[in-house]
Amino acid sequence: MNVIGSLYFYVCAAVAIAGAIATVTARNPIRGAVSLLVMVVSIAGLFLALSAEFLAAIQLIVYAGAIVVLFLFVIMILGESSSSVHDKKRIVSRTLAAALLGAVSLGAIVLVVGVSTPLQAPRIRAGFGGIDAIGRALFSDWVVPFELSSALLMVAVLGAVAIAKGDIKRPLESAATTPGSASEEQP
Amino acid sequence: MMSLSETIWAVVKILIMVGFLFNVGGLLTWLDRRQSAMIQDRIGPNRAVIKVFGIEFRLGGLLHPLADGVKFFFKEDFIPPRGDKLLFAVAPILVMAPVLALIAVIPFGDKLCVDDLWRTTDTGSLLFPAVPRYGSCLIPVARGGIAAIDLQVASLNVGILYVFALAGQGIVGAALAGWSSDNKFSLLGALRAASQMVSYEVTIGMSLVGALMIYGSVRMGDMVRWQGDHAWGIFIQPLAFFMFFMAAVAESKRIPFDLPEAESELVSGYFTEYSGMKFGMFYFAEYMEVVTSSMLLVTIFLGGWQLPFLHRDGLTIDIGTWRALQLPMNHLTVTAIQVCTFFGKVLFLCWIQCFVRWSLPRFRYDQLMKLCWRILLPLSLANILVTGVVYLLLDHAGPVLGNTLQMIGDLTQAVVAIAITYFVLSIVIGLIRPTRRTSWVVGSTAKLAQRFGGTPRSPRMQA
Repeated sequence: MNVIGSLYFYVCAAVAIAGAIATVTARNPIRGAVSLLVMVVSIAGLFLALSAEFLAAIQLIVYAGAIVVLFLFVIMILGESSSSVHDKKRIVSRTLAAALLGAVSLGAIVLVVGVSTPLQAPRIRAGFGGIDAIGRALFSDWVVPFELSSALLMVAVLGAVAIAKGDIKRPLESAATTPGSASEEQP
Repeated sequence: MMSLSETIWAVVKILIMVGFLFNVGGLLTWLDRRQSAMIQDRIGPNRAVIKVFGIEFRLGGLLHPLADGVKFFFKEDFIPPRGDKLLFAVAPILVMAPVLALIAVIPFGDKLCVDDLWRTTDTGSLLFPAVPRYGSCLIPVARGGIAAIDLQVASLNVGILYVFALAGQGIVGAALAGWSSDNKFSLLGALRAASQMVSYEVTIGMSLVGALMIYGSVRMGDMVRWQGDHAWGIFIQPLAFFMFFMAAVAESKRIPFDLPEAESELVSGYFTEYSGMKFGMFYFAEYMEVVTSSMLLVTIFLGGWQLPFLHRDGLTIDIGTWRALQLPMNHLTVTAIQVCTFFGKVLFLCWIQCFVRWSLPRFRYDQLMKLCWRILLPLSLANILVTGVVYLLLDHAGPVLGNTLQMIGDLTQAVVAIAITYFVLSIVIGLIRPTRRTSWVVGSTAKLAQRFGGTPRSPRMQA
């Protein structure tokens, strides 16, 4: 990898890590969401360097354009106060759990890097990671898993609709149909 | 690494596109005022004056954008004391940057062969060669020629997906602007903006799928070339054109979709608290969005840089298999005409968008959402299905049908050619024809009535 390439990688990686750290440490939830956006965009930059333009574009469309916006939306509707819970309870047990998890993950990474032989990457063809190659792979070689995963997403969407629909109360309509309840509200 | 000439050409291309975007964006603020004045029967902007040696220059109100700019720079840059100062400053950048970056993938001309533009013969006279319709330049790279230059800042593999990826980033800017202002009106405007843009982005993507299936490419240049060889996208996907147009206007948050900044309800929506150049960036980004959405519409549906029958090798009128006219033209002329055509089409669509803005009233919010989710989205999905079925059927049909389709495509090109000729001729005639001067009566209505001979109710003034 040439100098500019590795410089690009290190800048993107550093920004991604900084964004990730800021996401979990930000006290203000909106700033956390914006840090997540920064991380997502720099990971899309990393995809670009790996000749995965399609993946980079999808990363921006789905994560930056939809999911982060959804986060912002929810935080803005709920308001800052409901989500900024900084309770000091069980701080010791939490710190211990986080340290344990971090140590295990780090150990796993070290183990994998140390034990496994370097990956023999196959020579990539021209157009690898482009829209043609991914489309061909998804709709010919891997069509069954692709369809299964879309069915899974469909189930999730239907489930979300079903759960949300159960809670809808219509105060105006119920008040109109039962005149008794409407008169009770005005003592 | 890029060679020197490649670098120079890249800079030139960027300057052309960005220069066009900035200038037309600024001019559109003027056009919007003139247009509104014309539609509402007013005189329009004429107060900004420059006096040179006692002569007043008004330039038809063209000085107003200039005065706006001066005002933006000298106004106090107010930041709400309890707002989020960092995000407040970042939001206008997040709104502006995607619009600027979006023009990188829009082609404004066919492949340019620099060596074939002109060359000098041995006797020293200039020679303007013509190039073949398909394929590369006359002098191949192997024999010392410069590689053909795409008249497009970045010819990306993902093409249109890049546009979608950037369009999504503008939402974040609007949402952050509203939230960081610490103002309930701004927050409501931001929520409206975010939900509206997320909704209409789905329609924007879905309405284009049918067209992408037919073009067989997501690269903008390939799309335009396909339209030049067959027929313009508006004839092949008319429904998609109108859906994309609506969704694009909704994305730029202009009337009739300007709910996020509805003046009568939310002051100015998500940028209520902004002043000075930060407000200027929101204001200007909106007009630049008009330009970029016009560019996208032109590229995908209106043939990009193509004029009917004008190909890379010159004017060739083919109707089916019948060749009516063939007139070879040199590369320089063709390229110049094509580039001018692209920018002319963009200006025309910008004008249409301004016209729409002053013709329609604002939607109600539930109407806006219903239009998106209950009308446009099902229609675009149906459009994909129908396009797919028809495409499959035509693909298996014989060559006779293919020839007939090519014939119909050529006929649509002829229709476009006639329409453009009529349009240009009527503009020229309208400019040449002497206008009837109307005299302005400055003063009260009574004076005006007197000038025109009084009203039936005031017979005394007829004297």
